[in-house]
Amino acid sequence: MTTNGTTDPVEDIIVCRDVHKWYGNFHALRGVSTTVQKGEVVVIIGPSGSGKSTFIRTINRLEQHQRGDIIVDGIELTNDVRNIDAIRRDVGMVFQSFNLFPHLTVLRNITLAPTKVRHMPSHEAEGVAMELLERVGIPEQADKYPAQLSGGQQQRVAIARALAMQPNIMLFDEPTSALDPEMIKEVLEVMRELAESQMTILAVSHELGFAREVADRIVMFDEGQIVEDLPPDEFFNNPRHERVKHFLSQIL
Amino acid sequence: MSTVTEPVTTQLPPPRSEIGLVGWLRANLFSTWYNSALTVVVGALAAWALWYGLRWLFIDADFTVVSTLGGLLIIGQYNTDQACAGQNCFWRPQAALLLVTLLLGMSWGVAGEGLTRRIAIIVATVVALFAFLPYSLERMGWDVRLLLLANVPSLLLGWALARYTRLGTWRWVAILSVAAFLLTLVLLRGLPGVPGLQPVSVLYWGGLMLNLLLAVAGIVVSFPIGIALALGRRSRLPVVKLLCVVFIEVFRGVPLITLLFMSQVLVPLAFPENFPLNALLRAAIIITLFSAAYMAENIRGGLQALHPGQAEAARALGLPGWQTTLLISLPQAIRNVIPAIVGQFIALFKDTSLVYIIGMLDIVELSRKFATTYVENNMLPYLDDVQEVFIFLALVFWIFCFGMSHISGRIERHLGVGER
Ligand SMILES: Nc1ncnc2c1ncn2[C@@H]1O[C@H](COP(=O)(O)OP(=O)(O)OP(=O)(O)O)[C@@H](O)[C@H]1O
Ligand SMILES: [Mg+2]
Repeated sequence: MTTNGTTDPVEDIIVCRDVHKWYGNFHALRGVSTTVQKGEVVVIIGPSGSGKSTFIRTINRLEQHQRGDIIVDGIELTNDVRNIDAIRRDVGMVFQSFNLFPHLTVLRNITLAPTKVRHMPSHEAEGVAMELLERVGIPEQADKYPAQLSGGQQQRVAIARALAMQPNIMLFDEPTSALDPEMIKEVLEVMRELAESQMTILAVSHELGFAREVADRIVMFDEGQIVEDLPPDEFFNNPRHERVKHFLSQIL
Repeated sequence: MSTVTEPVTTQLPPPRSEIGLVGWLRANLFSTWYNSALTVVVGALAAWALWYGLRWLFIDADFTVVSTLGGLLIIGQYNTDQACAGQNCFWRPQAALLLVTLLLGMSWGVAGEGLTRRIAIIVATVVALFAFLPYSLERMGWDVRLLLLANVPSLLLGWALARYTRLGTWRWVAILSVAAFLLTLVLLRGLPGVPGLQPVSVLYWGGLMLNLLLAVAGIVVSFPIGIALALGRRSRLPVVKLLCVVFIEVFRGVPLITLLFMSQVLVPLAFPENFPLNALLRAAIIITLFSAAYMAENIRGGLQALHPGQAEAARALGLPGWQTTLLISLPQAIRNVIPAIVGQFIALFKDTSLVYIIGMLDIVELSRKFATTYVENNMLPYLDDVQEVFIFLALVFWIFCFGMSHISGRIERHLGVGER
């Protein structure tokens, strides 16, 4: 396996090289190259339409890239279905709109994939699910249906659901954008705890306080490209690009 | 009451004019002068229609035609001499009925309280009550009456089986239902050479029995075919997609009557030569496929209404495509279109009466034909027409269709449709 040479290959859990993506004629990703190491927390920011969602969705192939290479956990993303399924089992994803399964109870939402994909016996899966619900702070909601929970609780269930597959990498696409301020805090709390547990995290988020506190790097997208990639301190205090300053002045 | 002693709160009752019967009447029927005028006119028309309708129903109408037709309405000419020469075949449909009550009893045992129990008990009771019809013993013997009464013990036996044996699961009820349906067909059709099971041509199957057989087979088979067609139409494989679109549009674009006419020619094309295809099978296939085409569109509508994030979330968890469809998309899609699906089932049940087109005597055609014959032969000399029988038929159809929509309403509430 090839890497960019400066880092230990085993530690490079996500490698992207010159990734391009088009929607029809629209060039959404225009040569994205970056490397994420095991245990790193990377927060992605950028203006609306800059390709942040598109980028993190290419990592578990919810979107297909058309040029360049993406290597996740040592597996190259190609059209090979086995590779894709293997990577998806290894990568958890949390969406802005939660996407819990409304016809299943909270517990069943969490145990579904472990029992169906990993063939875990259901009592064992339920044990794992209860532990995870404990971890995200809502074990008492196990038998409810998603619609009976608040937005913050739903998002925490969604995180537990993703963790139940014991992924090595977690992707978050604006996990708090659909939430009221009080609920944002409870979700960020869970994410912070996750970051401290050495999980590799790629999160699109405009919660700059959170980013400053837990991120190892902040990456800024603009027009389908990475325009800045710096540790939080430098990113906020002396960004190299005018566009970053402009963007920060807009959202702060 | 305790509220009297409590301090007065800010909660006051609504003004008198907005509550109670008077308030309701004023708000809904007499809010303006033209509204009041409309209420009076419509009210007068309704009263007039009701007066004549009820007077005809209870004073002028003579329902003897229904009792004269009697068992013909239920099983058609199945037990006549032409159908079942030299034997008494009445017990065969009745045994099939016993299987139905047995399964209803099992469902009751599995479901416990609630609607299932009520349906099971009502059906068994009504059927058993038929044993007491005021016919002479010549027309309806002890054997027939006893078999009808046996539906009550059959129901209880089913209940006990579900309660006290390993058969008490929905899976077993489903398996045994399929087995019972096939057994029913064998019973009715007969087996050559087996004493007591002399073959009876399907041409003599008729009455309500025929409508129910066609409806049950149609509903049970068209549902999975409809699902397959809906998925096929959304398939990424162009050939599969094209085939499904063509099938759906052909069956939706041609009236059922025309399809039944053509079934003589069309259906045999799909089978090897000399395949024993009878009129009943042809009709069943056509009705099923016709219904499946509509079912497919209903289910496709449900699939299209789903948020794409649902399938994405499932795929992101590593569920393969087929499991995503089976466990995530389809259950939600079907749940969302239950009203349309049940509407389709009801339409199918009513459409079964169109088999008169290919010469089969379902309950409607049979009533029409025999009632007319009886009048012509002066067996019902006091009647110049037989419209009463159609009132009766309307009631029969209404009971079944209303039953289906009532059950669907309960299922919807049980699944929390619209709430989660
Ligand atoms: N399925 C699609 N078909 C066509 N164009 C799309 C599709 N998805 C995204 N795009 C376009 O690609 C560009 C990048 O979209 P993306 O969702 O990645 O932006 P984003 O940075 O996540 O923005 P936001 O902050 O609004 O979520 C946008 O211009 C968008 O219109
Ligand atoms: Mg986005």
